[in-house]
Amino acid sequence: MSTAVATGRRRSDLGLVWSELKYEQRAFWRNPFAAAFSVGFSVVFLILLGLSGGNDRVSFLGNVRTVQYYVPGFLAYGVMATCFNVLAITLVGRRELGLLKRLRLSPLPTRIYFGALLLNALVVSTLQIIALMLIGRFAYHVAIPGNLIALVLAIVVGVVTFAALGIGASGLIPNQEAAGPVLSIVFFVLLYLSGLWFPLQPGSALARISAWFPVRHFIVATFAPYDPRPHANAFAWHDLLVMGIWAAVASVIAVRRFKWEPRRS
Amino acid sequence: MPAIVVDDLRKSYGNFQAVRGVSFEVGHGEVFALLGPNGAGKTTTVEILEGFRERDGGTVRVLDVDPFERSTQRALRERLGIVLQECAVEPFLTVREVLQRHATFYPAPLPVDEVIAKIGLEEKTDARVKTLSGGQQRRLDVGLGIVGQPDLIFLDEPTTGFDPNARREAWDMVRNLRAGGTTVLLTTHYMDEAEALADRVAIIAGGAIVAEGAPDTLGARDTSAVHIRFALPPNVEAADLPVAVTTEHNGHVAIETTDEVEVLHCLTGWALTNHHELHGLVVERLTLEDVYLRLTAEVHQP
Repeated sequence: MSTAVATGRRRSDLGLVWSELKYEQRAFWRNPFAAAFSVGFSVVFLILLGLSGGNDRVSFLGNVRTVQYYVPGFLAYGVMATCFNVLAITLVGRRELGLLKRLRLSPLPTRIYFGALLLNALVVSTLQIIALMLIGRFAYHVAIPGNLIALVLAIVVGVVTFAALGIGASGLIPNQEAAGPVLSIVFFVLLYLSGLWFPLQPGSALARISAWFPVRHFIVATFAPYDPRPHANAFAWHDLLVMGIWAAVASVIAVRRFKWEPRRS
Repeated sequence: MPAIVVDDLRKSYGNFQAVRGVSFEVGHGEVFALLGPNGAGKTTTVEILEGFRERDGGTVRVLDVDPFERSTQRALRERLGIVLQECAVEPFLTVREVLQRHATFYPAPLPVDEVIAKIGLEEKTDARVKTLSGGQQRRLDVGLGIVGQPDLIFLDEPTTGFDPNARREAWDMVRNLRAGGTTVLLTTHYMDEAEALADRVAIIAGGAIVAEGAPDTLGARDTSAVHIRFALPPNVEAADLPVAVTTEHNGHVAIETTDEVEVLHCLTGWALTNHHELHGLVVERLTLEDVYLRLTAEVHQP
């Protein structure tokens, strides 16, 4: 028999967040798509790109080694894949299965559900970042940045921004079949434009176009603590501000357009 | 106060009036069935009672509160069990994990092993949900509905798509809930289900309740006329019979009467005396299905 005894007392919010986080962790790591698309991709790409020309130098970024550009780039990728892509696809899937409706009708408060979802994204992002930083450090001699506070700030702003975008996007996508392809195309095109695979020349056409989107700003903000140039600011305030604006807009869309029940047509 | 009070409930989607003035009450400990064809307004009514949908008009009280009222919603939902039409359980978790998770939502949950025993999934306790059969997932769904020890449970078409054995098991589960004092509101489009389970049935069609009562008295089934049917014996005309015939077709006669004892006595006495056989003799009372079809056919379906 289970040891659980009916106590007649409601769990504390913190206790509920903790048990929901455990649930989200299980659901995440057991879902092959979720784990492969975020952690798997970022680790594999960093290793491959580091191997192929990682020691080339980028003249317009203070002669930084390419791999030192890739490490923060894939930290950013990991956060974006986890918070935007995987989160949006997961939410659409849960909505279409009817899981969100069932949850909406349970006593679990919505704020606790989303709080745990965000925390889960933060935990997955953190684990991923540690793995990437260790690979960078020991395989490619990319030092852990001196200004860790700047890096942590950039990551936290990134998690919040891209989670808001992911939740907002889920409300705009009609069905599970569309979710994967649509989100992945948008995501990879933006990653390409934003210079994940190769550094963008300042003032170039791509740099100007991608400046409109949050992906570019996040990559710049995570690179800032890794920037070897002597007068570089580890805090990319301008980019963090732009991300903040995106986060605010996405939050409004997320709250207004979020759907709890499957769409039937 | 009854467990559920619904008075003049109204709900439209655009120009379509899904629910038009529905009223009913469900007492504590009662099993109440909303019986009606697809699109009759059953699910909309239940979703309003669950607080999932906002009504356009009318009054609704569930366990003494307005289910859409935010300030009391969590406390209300701690006392409700809800089993939706969609089978919705996290595919990558095991049966035990899913139940344990939902148990944390409630102040006084049933022990998870007890729930697993009640839904008969002991063998599948540690199996991932996606490996369960449709019927097993549905039972897990019901398990999620009862894990919080609800005072009131909503079952939206609980046996749709079940094979006959699974239906019987589900019915037993509803009877057990009732025996434990739980109030049950179920929707169904199966007549036999309503008849087997419900203390009271409301037939809903076109967004309105067209009949309400105990299953055996619904549509005046218990007091309305019975039909006596048989084949006319050879060389006997309908006019030769000792009782008045209501209809005759191809040698088959039907007698509609509210005084079936008298009529049968007269008829069988006559047959014995004159050595006639009454082939195919049947006495029929209106079935719930007759009442249902009659009542729902009268309503123009949009």
